[in-house]
Amino acid sequence: MRLGVRMVLGAAAAALLAACSGPAADKSAGKEGGAPADAGVVNLYTARHYDSDTQIYEAFTKKTGIKVRRIEAPGPQLIERMKAEGDASPADVLVVADGGVMGLAAEAGLLQPNPSAEVKRLVDGHLRDERDLWAAVSRRARVIAYDSTKVKPEEVDTYEELASPRFKGKLCVRNADNPYNLSLLSALIERWGPEKALTWAKAVVANMARAPQGGDIDQIKAVGAGQCEVAITNSYYYLRLVANGDEVTKKVLLAWPSIDGRGAHVNVSGAGIAKNAPNRDNAVKFIEFMLSPEAQAIFANVTNEFPVVKGTRMPERVAAFADRPADPLPVSRYGARQGEAQRVFEEAGWR
Amino acid sequence: MTPAARPLARPGLRIEPLTVAAAIAAALALLPLVAVVVTALGPGADSLKWPTFWRYAATSAALAGMVAVGAGVLGTLAAWLVVMHRFPGRDLFAWALVLPLAAPAFAMAYGYADLFDVAGPIRTALRSALGADVPLETRSLPGAAMVLSLAFYPYVYLTLRAALVNQSVTALEAARSLGRTANGAFWAVTLPMARPAIAAGMALAVMETLADYGAVSFLGVQTLTTGVVRAWSVFGSTPEAARLALPLLGAAAVLMFVERLSRRNRMADTGAARWRPLPTQQLGPVGASLAILFCFGLIALGLLAPAGWLVWRGLTVEPETARLVASGIRALGLAIIAGVVTTALAAALALGAGQRRLLARAASLGYATPGAVMAVGLLAPAGFLWRGFHGAAEGVGVALALLILAYAARLMAAALEPVDAGLERVTPSMVRAARSLGQTATGAAMKVELPIARGALLTAALLVFIDVLKELPATLILRPFGFDTLAVMADYYAKDERLAQASWPSLAIVLIALPAVVWLTHRVGASRPGAPI
Repeated sequence: MRLGVRMVLGAAAAALLAACSGPAADKSAGKEGGAPADAGVVNLYTARHYDSDTQIYEAFTKKTGIKVRRIEAPGPQLIERMKAEGDASPADVLVVADGGVMGLAAEAGLLQPNPSAEVKRLVDGHLRDERDLWAAVSRRARVIAYDSTKVKPEEVDTYEELASPRFKGKLCVRNADNPYNLSLLSALIERWGPEKALTWAKAVVANMARAPQGGDIDQIKAVGAGQCEVAITNSYYYLRLVANGDEVTKKVLLAWPSIDGRGAHVNVSGAGIAKNAPNRDNAVKFIEFMLSPEAQAIFANVTNEFPVVKGTRMPERVAAFADRPADPLPVSRYGARQGEAQRVFEEAGWR
Repeated sequence: MTPAARPLARPGLRIEPLTVAAAIAAALALLPLVAVVVTALGPGADSLKWPTFWRYAATSAALAGMVAVGAGVLGTLAAWLVVMHRFPGRDLFAWALVLPLAAPAFAMAYGYADLFDVAGPIRTALRSALGADVPLETRSLPGAAMVLSLAFYPYVYLTLRAALVNQSVTALEAARSLGRTANGAFWAVTLPMARPAIAAGMALAVMETLADYGAVSFLGVQTLTTGVVRAWSVFGSTPEAARLALPLLGAAAVLMFVERLSRRNRMADTGAARWRPLPTQQLGPVGASLAILFCFGLIALGLLAPAGWLVWRGLTVEPETARLVASGIRALGLAIIAGVVTTALAAALALGAGQRRLLARAASLGYATPGAVMAVGLLAPAGFLWRGFHGAAEGVGVALALLILAYAARLMAAALEPVDAGLERVTPSMVRAARSLGQTATGAAMKVELPIARGALLTAALLVFIDVLKELPATLILRPFGFDTLAVMADYYAKDERLAQASWPSLAIVLIALPAVVWLTHRVGASRPGAPI
């Protein structure tokens, strides 16, 4: 019995350690393409959960020889972990798929200014933190999917219209916990002020066809199934359905609403260098690589996100929307309004 | 044989390795809980309003109540049918009824939510047939209660079946001789005597329900646990998350108390007659058909339907085999080590705590504590370690050790229950004999008590093993670089709204857990005294 336990434990530990060395991709790269064999590592804390990123890591390792070691978790949890690790944190780069949460990380003092001139050159001012603590690497719009058989495009060309009695019981949207909804509301508070934003949120709640549930694709499909006529969704979820040739995209179309004539609410994925980054040079290289034509094209191709850098090659379906007007609200303003957005959702009864 | 009588078997204070080990085990299990309470007292304004808090609490209470009744009724009926009756397929059902335990609740939620989505196959078909939508909504409180009842009824089934298999024939025979029918004797005598087992099973189901995050959040039901994650993950407020967790800790304490109380009132066993086989009743054709229908229905709804749908969805995409295998090996290794470590700690606690039962009970509180709360509680002590030792935050070994201790703290109760039950089979005289032959208390434990209870130790290790395979929140936050487990992988895809991709790791969990579940249920069947261990 005892011997049995020891053998099982030993085998399990061996398996664990073998598995720890990570996927084969980590090891295979490095010596190809003339990249230096021992260029070190970059430790990445990322809240993004897309296959595009894996391709970008592989391309980065192949080009520079720098290995990418990553931990994926929701943004606020990564922030908590970095706080707990303090000076000892191994994190080099923090990447979060939401401008608001990046703002929280910056406010918590977890990031340091990025010295890269390349990043300043490639990324528009309003897509960077004023202190250069972080910069956007990809963009996505939070817009409206609508039933083209029942709704005219001009009925959904502003966010205000979602709150009109026209859509009483006809609107589908996910819950208030969702960071994309929080950042949308933060932007509306910034542009409209808290009172108008609250009135809007209350009217949207009154228009809901069902209690908030599911993800963005579920909302689009609910429009397709006739449960609602309009839904709030991130652009790339709709474009993914287009890319997959999903039937629902024949009937359900994507509208491009505008905030006070400025354009749609565009959220970003941001990347910043950790305050105590042990591999700071590699962190700079990594963020610069995320802005390279190669990586920008991967974001557009694989995840259907909009590039940050102008002149990026992208598929037709993405190009159709990528250059539409976007509200040029400085991204660092999202984080500042997060708490307020939370309270407005609470007040409006948006679950 | 009653727990109250056990301490008599352990004369004197054990200031020796056993006591020290017990103290360490208890401290490990309690540390994160204490950290949660301390964090809750910390500063930080609350973003949630009172009505929202009450809504969360009421939803948690309603869900727990519905699952207690649902799992209680389903599990009791299943155990009663399988143990007390004979019908075709009974032996097969006896173990197959436990199979839903292998499926993580979140995977069942994926399957059911998709199957009954407004754009899913069932409602689309109904819509075209009837011309109107039928609101069969899994993403609702009743829907979540159904999914969780089906996921957790095996706890009631397992505990009750073990009790029924081990029951005394004497009382049944007395009832029969006083004119009760076989069924009448069951409801009048056996069931009341087995009440503690049902209560224990229901307590486990309720604790799992309160702690569940994956399934309820996917089904859009907002409980205290989703509130904790919301406070932590959305508002970024650890103190508020900890404050929301306090009622859950309170509920866990109450459940633990109730479960213990019902044990104390257990009737005295009547001894020798237990060794005779149980009288079972042959069912007629109608009864047998209904029994088969019920048992098969439970397995179909609890595992086959949602898993089958996930397979169907999974077939539409190419599985990432290499990543699945790597994650599977990690999950397997982690679950095995956590199973052994947690069982060892639980055994130390059970043997060394002596009369300090409160300590053992308190160490069990982690079980009803959501993984996210444990993660909040673990981050503070982990922070000391990370900051205090150079390189600790980067070390794979440190991260894995932390993770395993996190599992042990969270799952101590799952191991402690069977270990305690197993040790009850060691009679006081056996230990006294060992002591009189010169063994210390530790020696008696190692040479007599543990070997006798080895079957129970394996049961405990397997229960922890199964739970660790499914665990997500603590794994997510404490794992080392690049360390994906199957549950992490499933969550990754579910978050990106790719259910077809998420179905492969979910099904892999089921496949790995299945042999453990099958073995567990065989053991329960073989546990009648006189049967080989």
